[in-house]
Amino acid sequence: MSREWNIIFKKEVFSFFEGVQAWVVLAVYILISMFLTFFGGGFFSINNAGLFSFFYFQPYIMAFLIPAVTMRLWAEERKNGTLEFLLTQPISLFSIIFGKFLAAWFMCVCMLFLSTPLWIYMNVYFQTDNLNIVAGYIAVLMVSGSFCALCCLISTFCSSPAVSYLWGVMVLLFVNVYDFSKLIKIINMPISAESKLSNMLNLNNHYYDLITGQISLDNILFFVLSVLICLLLNFAVVDFKKN
Amino acid sequence: MIVVKNLCKNYGNKQAVNNVNFCISKGEVVSLLGPNGAGKTTLMRLLTGYIEPTSGEVRIFDKDIKTERKFCLKKIGYVPESGFLYNDMTVADFLRYASQLRGMKKNEFEQNLKKVVENLELKSVINQKIETLSKGFKRRTGIAAALIHNPEILILDEPTEGLDPNQKFSIRNYLKNYGKDKIIIISTHIMEEVEAMADRVILLNHGKLVKDTSPTELKELFPEHNIETAFYKITSEAE
Repeated sequence: MSREWNIIFKKEVFSFFEGVQAWVVLAVYILISMFLTFFGGGFFSINNAGLFSFFYFQPYIMAFLIPAVTMRLWAEERKNGTLEFLLTQPISLFSIIFGKFLAAWFMCVCMLFLSTPLWIYMNVYFQTDNLNIVAGYIAVLMVSGSFCALCCLISTFCSSPAVSYLWGVMVLLFVNVYDFSKLIKIINMPISAESKLSNMLNLNNHYYDLITGQISLDNILFFVLSVLICLLLNFAVVDFKKN
Repeated sequence: MIVVKNLCKNYGNKQAVNNVNFCISKGEVVSLLGPNGAGKTTLMRLLTGYIEPTSGEVRIFDKDIKTERKFCLKKIGYVPESGFLYNDMTVADFLRYASQLRGMKKNEFEQNLKKVVENLELKSVINQKIETLSKGFKRRTGIAAALIHNPEILILDEPTEGLDPNQKFSIRNYLKNYGKDKIIIISTHIMEEVEAMADRVILLNHGKLVKDTSPTELKELFPEHNIETAFYKITSEAE
């Protein structure tokens, strides 16, 4: 299994960097991230020991960039007819799904890596809370993992990468800004359960807990479970669609 | 050996493949014939495990493709009807990728690559990107990817489509030779191809197997002694 997903992972990473796509995504990421950190996040006017100005905007930036990474993973296979080739090879469907997901996530790691000079700069010129910064990076990795899995799933529904991108951005923005408590209110539940459930489903709550250094099991579980659920749905959709 | 037992595939209310039974042994080159929509592509997809049957079973060397998928797929090389090539890869990269997916070792790949490239005359384009190739070279690259692991069973959907007469001739000869100790299944509309290559013809119509015979016997069925006429008469009779 490990060898199988590794083949897919390498192929996808090679494809990203072979064209201009990966380089454009990386350049756009670092430009937007730095712009928002310094100009949108009040970098010099708040206490930034934990790089809060940087981490605050990451889910929004990722909402625009991750669909650009994942849009072709399944949609292009379908469009070019290579899906039939891939699915008639002696490797498991889950290896293919996992390899593709990891390749997209690896791109997010590359994006985040580009921001490390900022961390070094902060350590040289300011007093920093490095543990908090590590927690922030973990939070971005978690949120980007969930977004990658969700966008991989969206890509399986589409036969055009452009459509997959648009749907990806819309869904991720919705997940970022939508207040699930309104939806939960429709179901008549006791108020305590209602607030618990809405907190549990709110991505921002989990993310901001993590970037403020509150690493807890429920926050980690939220992201891990969302990845697993999306990958399982991805499996079900590919399997269903080919039949 | 391939054994197909009571194979059915439904898409909603439509029966794409309806209770098909046959058995193919080593050394046979079988041509799947049938008008458009007869169920040839669906049958090939069932044989390659790409889709699952509604009922019935496909056994490859005595293993059920549903339960022993990996074992069965390692034995098969499949060339779908069109597309299926990664345009951003070079021919060599694509063949390497196909070999990795097949679990081949590097030295085994290098050996087979030489043979396949020579037999399919791909040497001149080996480092060229697939998107820049002509239709004929693309087709041959697809066949090369299916042959890279030297499969026991080769399944080809319209293999000579887009090839010029010289290329058709050499590919047919190559496949005919390859099929001496393997199983080859070819779906085609070209009757001369059936006569040139096949030992056996499986004729499908509306998802049903309507004839399973040799090309010579198929010709002899009607006074015209011609496969095209036989094809026309059998498939229109069934309407």
